[in-house]
Amino acid sequence: MSAEEPKTDDLPDQGLPENQTSTSTDTELGQTRMEVAYGAGDGDDDAKAIVARKASMGVLYEQIYRPWNGELGPRWVRNYAIFRHHVYGIFRGKGHRHYNPFVRLSILVIFLTSLTPIAMIFLSVTISGGEGSDWLNRMWGVNRYNLWGQVLGYFPRNLCMWPLLTALVVGGMISDDRKNGTSAIYFSRPVTRADYTAMKYLSSAVVLGFVIVFSYMLYYTSAIVFNGEGWAYLIDTLPIFLGGLLAGILLVITYTSIGMALSSVSQSRFFAAIGFLAIIFGTKVVALMIELIFQTTVFYILSPYDSLAHLGQWLVGIPANYEHSLALSIISILLYNAASIGLLVTRVRSLEVTRE
Amino acid sequence: MSEGFVIEARNLRKMYGPHLALDDVDVQIPRGAIGILGPNGAGKSTFFKCILGLITTTSGEGNVLGYDIKTQGDLIRSRIGYMPEYDSLDPDLNAIDQVRYAGELIGMNPAAAMQRAHEVLEYVGLRDQRYRKIESFSTGMKQATKLACAIVHDPEILICDEPTNGLDQRSREFMLNTLRRTVDEGRGTVLMSSHVMDDVQEVCDRVVLIHKGQIVINRPITDLADQIEREVEVVIWGGASKMEEALISNGQKVRRMGRVMRVTIEDENTIDRIISTAAKSEVQIRELREYEPDLEDIFLLIMDKLGARVKGTSELMTSDHTGVD
Repeated sequence: MSAEEPKTDDLPDQGLPENQTSTSTDTELGQTRMEVAYGAGDGDDDAKAIVARKASMGVLYEQIYRPWNGELGPRWVRNYAIFRHHVYGIFRGKGHRHYNPFVRLSILVIFLTSLTPIAMIFLSVTISGGEGSDWLNRMWGVNRYNLWGQVLGYFPRNLCMWPLLTALVVGGMISDDRKNGTSAIYFSRPVTRADYTAMKYLSSAVVLGFVIVFSYMLYYTSAIVFNGEGWAYLIDTLPIFLGGLLAGILLVITYTSIGMALSSVSQSRFFAAIGFLAIIFGTKVVALMIELIFQTTVFYILSPYDSLAHLGQWLVGIPANYEHSLALSIISILLYNAASIGLLVTRVRSLEVTRE
Repeated sequence: MSEGFVIEARNLRKMYGPHLALDDVDVQIPRGAIGILGPNGAGKSTFFKCILGLITTTSGEGNVLGYDIKTQGDLIRSRIGYMPEYDSLDPDLNAIDQVRYAGELIGMNPAAAMQRAHEVLEYVGLRDQRYRKIESFSTGMKQATKLACAIVHDPEILICDEPTNGLDQRSREFMLNTLRRTVDEGRGTVLMSSHVMDDVQEVCDRVVLIHKGQIVINRPITDLADQIEREVEVVIWGGASKMEEALISNGQKVRRMGRVMRVTIEDENTIDRIISTAAKSEVQIRELREYEPDLEDIFLLIMDKLGARVKGTSELMTSDHTGVD
């Protein structure tokens, strides 16, 4: 109703007393006759009720196919995706390859343990001048033996740390794809088997390299920085450092090759891990027993670790612990790598996309 | 590529050692929804591998979307989506990351792959489950995730290997509707391999039947129904064996399934003859109607006919393999 004054004649007869007439305001507010008559408004005359509006029928789920017109990247984009998926998984809990928290924790502990010489060098610097400092420097300072020991020492590096690290990282690399059938995700896309193998290999090697080689580099760099050594020291020790670095890289390559080959053999990551540890420790134990019985070190060529250690001793220029020729150890390393990569390639070639 | 055909093969032959898996296959497949049928070991998987460019063919040539299957396998695989029959998902990943990774593996940049993963997971009905780990998914949800992985890059050809395997009725209907919608709205091609004829009939316009390494049928489903003889379906009560014998002795062709018989219509008097035979045999006819064959009937009839015609494995061996001239 408009605010226009209504004519009294137009209003219906409401039986009001003669002295009281209905007004337009009364009608607009919707007051009852009782309220008009006795002014019995309850104070909420201006209140407005909020009522639900009638809702239109909604759609809970509408299936619409949306086309995609984006550009696909070249080969390196696909390969980098594989690499990132496997490496980022160690640092990030979600979104990339899943590593068990225990595995991630173990890798962290191994990495931190491999950095202990840095802490000892720092300690020797802080207490410099005393006998203790000299002893600490001898034990953990940079010299040929310590550089060799940082990557190739048996205890604790190659007994407790590097083999365990390799087993944890490499164990499920390919066996998980066999077990879950995820190889189909790769090979039904423009990912070749060579790219697949190379990227998985590279991912494992980078993780191992980060712990083994990067900690070695940090160790050498920290020693120079903490001791305040100059260019002359750097030039003197650089060849030894590079020898150890090469030995570390060879160790990463050899361990990765053996681990990846074992991972490609079965559907179980535990088989690969245990198999790797068995090869590293088993061959050494056998060679040790033969040495103790027959006084010959030649059977150490069966042990990948000992072959690497022998070569490493030559690279950093320390006397060899082995009587047999260095050439045999080098051949052993080459054979282990060749056989492992050959097995890896053969097994990856047999991974299925469609099943018969 | 010839106009209208997405897949073409000429004299395509694949041998695994002495075993001939594909026997000089000549096929032209147009756009649309195509069912790939055939018994186990017929050569369906080998055919898929060949057109994906995953295995080298022994002889012959072929192209998919205009790309040579021998030399341009990677380009072919960039333009197709493949949904495998078996589990091919990482149980430790959640659905969104699995689909994103599938997109990255085809060359999408991570941001585009993530955005597209959201879109396709919504499309396959997993919007609310996309952050759940795949290990907690039901079979239907896993199938839907595999489909999402296959269509993440909006492929021109979608190959689905047994897409309804292990699905309940509701999930199956959703999957089939989704595949049909992908053809209609995505304007792509779906190649669907299935043993369930109803599924193929529901989604596909055309079937390609592979048997012992040969393409024996490649035509629209509607045409196939015209190829087989028309039949009358008769439901008999009280003496079906007697009725069957009587019909056969009258020279009529009968297929019997318990109390139901399908009698081939030979002329306009066939129905009269059936009724009079029933009267003579003193059996009741409860129902009598013209039978419309479905794809399964067509398939079984064709396989039955092929049984005698198609070469056996020993015949498929060449002198190069047997060493006998």
